Amino acid sequence: MVVVADAGILYGLLAVGAGLATGLAGIGAGVGEQGIGAAVVGVVAEEPGFLGKGLFLMLLPETLIIFGLAVSLILMFAWTPFSAIVTP
Amino acid sequence: MSRVVVAGSKDVISPVVEKLHELRLLHIVNYNGNQPEFELGKPIGKAKEYSENLIKLRSITRYLEIKNKAPEKTYPESQVLSEMDNLLNNVGADVTATYERITEIEAEIKSKQDQIRSLTPLSVIPLPLEAYHGYDSLATFVGTVVTPVEADVARVSPVNEIFTGTAKNATYVAVFVPVEKASEVSAVLSEHGFSEMSVPKLEGNVDSAIASLSGSIKSLESELMPLQKKLADLKKQHEDLMLATDEYLSMQVSKTEAPLRFAETDNAFVIDGWVPSDQYSRLKSELESAASGKLDVQLIADKEADDLVKGGEDIPTKMDNPSLVKPYELITRLFAIPEYKEFDPSLLIFIFFPIMFGMILGDVGYGIIILLILTLLKKRFRTEGWQQLINIVMIAGVWSVIFGIFYGEIFGPLGLWNYMVGMLTHHQMLELQEAGLFFGEGTYGALGRVGPLGIFPLYRLATNAVLLLIGVSLFIGVIHCSVGSILGIKTELNYGEKKHAYFERLPVMLFQVFFAVALLGLVMGQMIMVYIGAAVIVLSIVMMVMGPEGAMGLAHVPSYVSNLISYLRLLAIGLASVGLAYAANQLSFYVIMPMLSGGATNSADFSIPAIIVGVVILVAVHFINILLGILSPFMHPLRLHYVEMFTKFYSAHGGGVEYSPFGHVRRFLKA
Repeated sequence: MVVVADAGILYGLLAVGAGLATGLAGIGAGVGEQGIGAAVVGVVAEEPGFLGKGLFLMLLPETLIIFGLAVSLILMFAWTPFSAIVTP
Repeated sequence: MSRVVVAGSKDVISPVVEKLHELRLLHIVNYNGNQPEFELGKPIGKAKEYSENLIKLRSITRYLEIKNKAPEKTYPESQVLSEMDNLLNNVGADVTATYERITEIEAEIKSKQDQIRSLTPLSVIPLPLEAYHGYDSLATFVGTVVTPVEADVARVSPVNEIFTGTAKNATYVAVFVPVEKASEVSAVLSEHGFSEMSVPKLEGNVDSAIASLSGSIKSLESELMPLQKKLADLKKQHEDLMLATDEYLSMQVSKTEAPLRFAETDNAFVIDGWVPSDQYSRLKSELESAASGKLDVQLIADKEADDLVKGGEDIPTKMDNPSLVKPYELITRLFAIPEYKEFDPSLLIFIFFPIMFGMILGDVGYGIIILLILTLLKKRFRTEGWQQLINIVMIAGVWSVIFGIFYGEIFGPLGLWNYMVGMLTHHQMLELQEAGLFFGEGTYGALGRVGPLGIFPLYRLATNAVLLLIGVSLFIGVIHCSVGSILGIKTELNYGEKKHAYFERLPVMLFQVFFAVALLGLVMGQMIMVYIGAAVIVLSIVMMVMGPEGAMGLAHVPSYVSNLISYLRLLAIGLASVGLAYAANQLSFYVIMPMLSGGATNSADFSIPAIIVGVVILVAVHFINILLGILSPFMHPLRLHYVEMFTKFYSAHGGGVEYSPFGHVRRFLKA
């Protein structure tokens, strides 16, 4: 049993951290995809057969968000056993 | 596929081409003209006439804006032939004349509108239109200025005449000065922010000129209407026949120009090509009977064919799948056509893709709505590509209904269904959720809960369910990637590359499987599994270093882990969609409806306007969620296939060539 004076603040900070993890990862992936997407649209306009491979390239940076999300999930659900936090 | 050579006398080239076209069996390999004994073939028959007619027809269909569509009725060839002349000449001339007249009228209307636009501001200057033109010794400046110009113009040119008028915050001036002063006046005017306007060469008062222009625009527009209607009528009347004629002419062109792909001597022709092995004897007998014996079809021995392939010839691939799997060839084709010796992944996509879609969307209500919408769309969009796409999503929709039953979701968790027939009160649910014990309510009433520990129906937003689904997603990932790796090993062995198979593909699979085993050991507290897992992971890394890439292979190791983590999207996208559905239900039933009925807590006390507003919001949010719920559960499993799975076996040897036999599938023509 861990006794924390203000569990609310701890929980709040965790939630902010989790939000930042997913949100910033999303921005990063977006920045990555922006360039690839523009290039892929250009190629597909010239050669429609490239659509599948273009999609493949465009979807590569998406994994980044999932990393951020994994961190968020760990923060929110797995890292601190909330049942063990007891307010005095 | 078997490699064949068809050789025959030139006398029989037409019946042979005709027969080949009808059989649709031979994938012709174009003759490249690099053997001195043979030259390229020449078109037979009336090739020139057919292509000229085709060009004529295409220009008519372009004027009528006829696009390819699903056939409503079919025509016999004789009808097409008998009506072609009329269609191309009489109807064609009519269409062209009407179309040209329409463009002419539209251009005229546009020029008149431009004139009106430039005349309108001039109405503030009290001058008739003929006063602006036709001077030899006077220079005219007409336009807008920012500041008054009279004094400065009088300074450089004492002889002048200036008219001004103001409209819509702009000052318009007309300045008349002797020609010899023109350049000085122009310089002065530009200091005052002068910007010139053109004045149309018309006569009379400005207002009456505008009125007469708008009058003539009206009369032109009234002439336009019947012409457009005529064009629409012509399109309606001839659309199908024109498409049928287009098909007939294209067929004739491809037949008459086919010999361009053959090798020829003075008296004989030779066709190279590939034919599905089981169809070889049919091709041989049909062709020989068509040519009444003046032809020989030879099968090339496997060894010789292999040499040809090494010399750069591609063996065409014919994807052959059961009808249920066929739509998924679309997804394969979007990426690349498999090579002849490669595994066709369509079957795997058929197995995994709908399950992944279902696992993400997982809602009985959404699934049924998607099925209903797609049944309607299926009748509207009849082309092959759309039909395949719709079939893919329909099968996925069935799976999302199945997963919806496991998740206990009908338009969101604890949604409509629970609110109406649920057994726990909202408070009781919240208490259970806080205690981390809540897996969702007994949606199925008397059926109660099913599965081990009674975890179904699973409430996806509960902490325990999220943790469970993280595990399930990772293990689906391990299975998915392992299937990819096994196929990768098989493909490499097919190409005879043992080193690549055992030291590049196999370690990846070992790594991923035992990574998952170690994780499972950690979660279950079985340290022995962790040790075994760690040992095999080290072994697999050693194997990788021994492989063809050497120590560079280590650079890929992080990506094997990230490949697995990528499968968390199966949970993540699903959570997003559940979250939105949950928010919609909460907003409507627990916020809007009680609030608008003055704080009532019991559903029986809700006022009718509150219920109406609540339902409108409910429908709107769920509608958005369904649209998102078709798009992202489609794109993300697609990515899991393309990036995580295909890279393990599919893209190593580059794309293949699709088997496209010489011939034509009749659509608008009767066979």
